[in-house]
Amino acid sequence: MVMSPQPLAALDTLDAGALADAIARGHVSAREALDASMARIEQTDGRVNAFTGRTWARAVAEADAVDARRARGEVLPPLAGVPYAVKNLFDVEGEVTLAGSKVNRSNPPAIADAFLVQRMQAAGAVLVGSLNMDEFAYGFTTENTHYGACRNPHDLDRTAGGSSGGSGAAVAAGQVPITLGSDTNGSIRVPASLCGVWGLKPTFGRLSRRGSYPFVHSIDHLGPFADSVDALALAYDALQGPDPLDPACHAERVEPTVGESERGIEGLRIGVLGGYFHDHATTPARAAVHAAAGVLGAVDVVEWPDPALARAAAFIISAAEGGSLHLQELRARADEFEPLSVDRFIAGALQPGDWYLKAQRFRRLYRDRVQALFQGWDLLLAPATPVSAPLIGTESLEINGRMQPCRPSLGLLTQPISFAGNPVVTAPTWPSGTGGMPLGVQVIAMPWREDLALRAARVLQQAGVASLKPANL
Amino acid sequence: MKEAHILDYVKASAVVMGLPVDEARALRVAEHLQRTAAMARLLEEATLEVSDEPAEVYRLPRPSGGGSGGGR
Repeated sequence: MVMSPQPLAALDTLDAGALADAIARGHVSAREALDASMARIEQTDGRVNAFTGRTWARAVAEADAVDARRARGEVLPPLAGVPYAVKNLFDVEGEVTLAGSKVNRSNPPAIADAFLVQRMQAAGAVLVGSLNMDEFAYGFTTENTHYGACRNPHDLDRTAGGSSGGSGAAVAAGQVPITLGSDTNGSIRVPASLCGVWGLKPTFGRLSRRGSYPFVHSIDHLGPFADSVDALALAYDALQGPDPLDPACHAERVEPTVGESERGIEGLRIGVLGGYFHDHATTPARAAVHAAAGVLGAVDVVEWPDPALARAAAFIISAAEGGSLHLQELRARADEFEPLSVDRFIAGALQPGDWYLKAQRFRRLYRDRVQALFQGWDLLLAPATPVSAPLIGTESLEINGRMQPCRPSLGLLTQPISFAGNPVVTAPTWPSGTGGMPLGVQVIAMPWREDLALRAARVLQQAGVASLKPANL
Repeated sequence: MKEAHILDYVKASAVVMGLPVDEARALRVAEHLQRTAAMARLLEEATLEVSDEPAEVYRLPRPSGGGSGGGR
């Protein structure tokens, strides 16, 4: 096989899609791509703290296997040789699934990869490690006491967001072009917004959660982060597939989006969420949506039904299910839990049953109201976070003249959407008034229509309104 | 529920649930539960009929027709 050697530095300019293409064409080897990724991690992660574990022996074996397949003339799968990493709540064979905690350290190593890790491996991607997160995914800032805070690559004094903070930061830092995370109340969309990368929270029930450590069974979603819309679509397509062994996976078939996302937005009815989503957004967040709306021709302001009630219900269900899930450990080892969330877990475990049941009964009505809204719209836009990344350790922040607790407020605009379960692409925009920090826009579609959100995302990318910017590390 | 009642509730229910909670922790937990109680009061606004069942293992219907330009 003849390779056209490419300087490692040049790989920095390739997004994941272009990298996969370069590997498939033999312009760069999978091993070279992996070496570049590992070098970048070595160079930057002492400051970013995105990684909690490195699977480099496995990565070398996977990369070499890709290069061997190419040498044999095989047609490579779509992500062949592309390095990626996963939030440390995904099972990785032979590794302990920490889920950001100390108490899980004594658990035995996973005996198999999570379903989605298997899917990525089947697509040829190369797993380089596991990523920092809030303990048991209960947080929006990844200020993890056990493993250290994950820092925002665009300003190391600021939070990367959470709970999938490592997943957002690793892509923003150029360590890997694709990562996987989870989103219960905003944990993909918040770090994507604060780190300035693309993120996709798919439809609830679309992707199998088998082999991932749960937070809230009723609301947990898994999904990808990426450095471009094409890469996001490639990863999402690779992750899709029915899983009869996961009772919460309702996907019936793979519905590919690669190619679909090139169809543009002609004929799509796109609106902008007002009311609650305007009132809880600061000026830069509104500006981010305004810029996206301008490109997408979205003029009409739309009212989302009962967002405050939905947030309340999501809050109650998250606390109750999270508290119940960890009750045994809270009884025996509460002092080993994350100080920032242990008292919330205990409070959740003590909630009256009436609160939880009312929240679940409300959810059914809410789902119908939200889906009725989408009879008139294909896509709706809203800010992903009220503000850009706060400084690490911030306790409260001002949103339109009102002081709010910082950490829960980062999910104000994401919680009502994930409670409905609709798919959302978070587009990385860079509005003025943030000191150069990013702030994402949610592109929200009707259930099972991730393709529509990706089509609009691609238009935003092509127009230059949404994109990654290199982190100065 | 008033703050003192919440604190009493935390202490009593923690015993029932077998959760060791000292005074300092009880105060912090009560603060969180107070916030959740406000959320629960908000949710009281939702009109629920006796026939409104909880969400099942949550599942979303596929759109029937739906979008004007969104056909595959």
